[in-house]
Amino acid sequence: MSQFLLGVGFGLVTASIVAISAVALSLQYSVTRFPNFAHGELMIIGAYGAYQAGLWTHNAIVEVITACAVGGALASAMNLLLFRPFQRRGSKLITLFVLSIAVSLIVQAALEWIYGGSSVTFSTSVGKPYHIGPFVLTGQELAIMGAAVVAMLLVHFMLRYTKFGKAQRAVADSLPLAAVTGIDVDAVIRTTWLVAGVLAGFSGYVLALNVGSFTPTTGFSFLLVIFAAAVLGQIGSIYGAMLGALVIGIATEVSALYIPADYKNSVAFGLLIITLLVRPAGLFTRRAVTA
Amino acid sequence: MGPVAQYIISIATVGVIFSIPSLALNIRYGWTGDFDLSIYLFVAIGAYVCSVFVLPPSTLPYPDHYILGLNMPFLVGTLAAMAACGVASAILGAIALRKLRGDYFSIVTVATTLILYAYFSQATSLFDGFNGVFGLPQPFNGQLKLSPNAYPLFFLALCIAILVVVYFFSNLLFRSPFARAVRAVREDEVAAAAFGRNVYLMKLKAFVIGGVIAGLGGSVLVEYLTSWSPQAWSPIETFLLYAAVLVGGTASNNGVVVGAFFIYVFIQEITRFIPSLHLGATSLASARDILIGVLIIGVLWFRPQGIWPEPRDKDVETAVGQQSRPEPLESRPAAGGLT
Repeated sequence: MSQFLLGVGFGLVTASIVAISAVALSLQYSVTRFPNFAHGELMIIGAYGAYQAGLWTHNAIVEVITACAVGGALASAMNLLLFRPFQRRGSKLITLFVLSIAVSLIVQAALEWIYGGSSVTFSTSVGKPYHIGPFVLTGQELAIMGAAVVAMLLVHFMLRYTKFGKAQRAVADSLPLAAVTGIDVDAVIRTTWLVAGVLAGFSGYVLALNVGSFTPTTGFSFLLVIFAAAVLGQIGSIYGAMLGALVIGIATEVSALYIPADYKNSVAFGLLIITLLVRPAGLFTRRAVTA
Repeated sequence: MGPVAQYIISIATVGVIFSIPSLALNIRYGWTGDFDLSIYLFVAIGAYVCSVFVLPPSTLPYPDHYILGLNMPFLVGTLAAMAACGVASAILGAIALRKLRGDYFSIVTVATTLILYAYFSQATSLFDGFNGVFGLPQPFNGQLKLSPNAYPLFFLALCIAILVVVYFFSNLLFRSPFARAVRAVREDEVAAAAFGRNVYLMKLKAFVIGGVIAGLGGSVLVEYLTSWSPQAWSPIETFLLYAAVLVGGTASNNGVVVGAFFIYVFIQEITRFIPSLHLGATSLASARDILIGVLIIGVLWFRPQGIWPEPRDKDVETAVGQQSRPEPLESRPAAGGLT
């Protein structure tokens, strides 16, 4: 039982990381309507940005800011240079999906060129372990969970109480309707990409902190875990993504107690497949919506 | 044979071999329009199955092991690979194609591939896990006993023969009522269904045919490499095949073969000959991947129909039933204007 609870503890940490990233993916999906295959690269470029900043400054705050900045910059660049021009031409969503795969390929290869294919290690102290109830968590893991909670609250307040949030929800609801009511749809999409990139870059940074070492393909291998969380909670729904992340985080970490840890991600992929087949509208929706 | 001839034979063999799975992907993606990300899984299954049919029984030290080891000839291994891929495609296709379209279908295929990738990497008793299978005998050389210098030429001829068969099969199929209907589904699924077509069954058939050809490609590839392991089918390989199809010309058999040579021979070799970059092995692969990514984006923007576009009948002329039908516009490199 204590083993199980320990697994749940690790699951909460993983869930925190997945939640930040899945919320970013869902935000972006809610206005653009295609899953960004380069989402893992937004994460990993955040990790590499933070790593590079850490080499220069040895300052955690600079690392966080750099991770957010490069994630946001890459996401904005992808939107402005690639997706927007193609969308203006009336490209199909599947074309945009293919484009995001090409971006994923390019970013991975570029990182491999610069940093090499072997793994890079963050040299941070994880802090001493704390016993909180049944859980044993390091200071770093607690910080990650705290950061996730703060990030979720910020997203919540942004969507509920700011002008942008209102506009964003309107565009997510119906883009043409938002456009005819005078909302600057283009600006909303731009800002959404920026926010999604910042969140993804940040989640990449905390992912890198948590796993310790990473390679240019780490983001890609984590991508479907993020998809799983987002789809489980109905893709495009922010609060669903948070719940989905909780399920995926705990399921993957607890499963590692019973099956080899190498299959950890496969558990998430399996849940993803089952969800898409059985309840494509997500687990937490009241009625099944046909996909 | 001089080194130049050997070099040309080796790159030609690579181009010919990769044309086979590219044609397979073309049937799956080009004709149906479903963005399948599991194509290389079937290349891998084909390679594994062919290997364990032609290899002798496993004598690897515990825990390394591979199943079967039947010492069969190459042709039997290839047929087994195609059969296994047909069955596996039918299973995955039956599940994934029934309900899912567009990005959801892609996600399910890639998730399945990654799960099986993890499984094949871990299961040391199936196909020797991460170490994989190795030491495959050269096809037909047990009987022919060719010199190491002459054998590559024979193997190239064998690959060309197989590609020619696949190409003509694919071309024949392209003009069949079945493939016409499949492409009609791609253009407008609802309209095709309204004409009484069973969309699901047609997509499934195309998926299985593609899988069988991918398995054939995998078995030829593994005979060329003489070994197969998870490193040989990392996710990036799928995107290289897509690059070949998209650049060459989606749904066009001629285009796809051109595309395969372009990606696997031209791009591969050109990055090797940029002397000013002074690239190591890793950067070489990275440079190639960046180039291919940029190429995909460039093609989608400037020439979505690819180098050698899909032949299309002119609507007006085919609509008039009484007239003698014009020859299908097979090779119009300059044709343009679709999507």
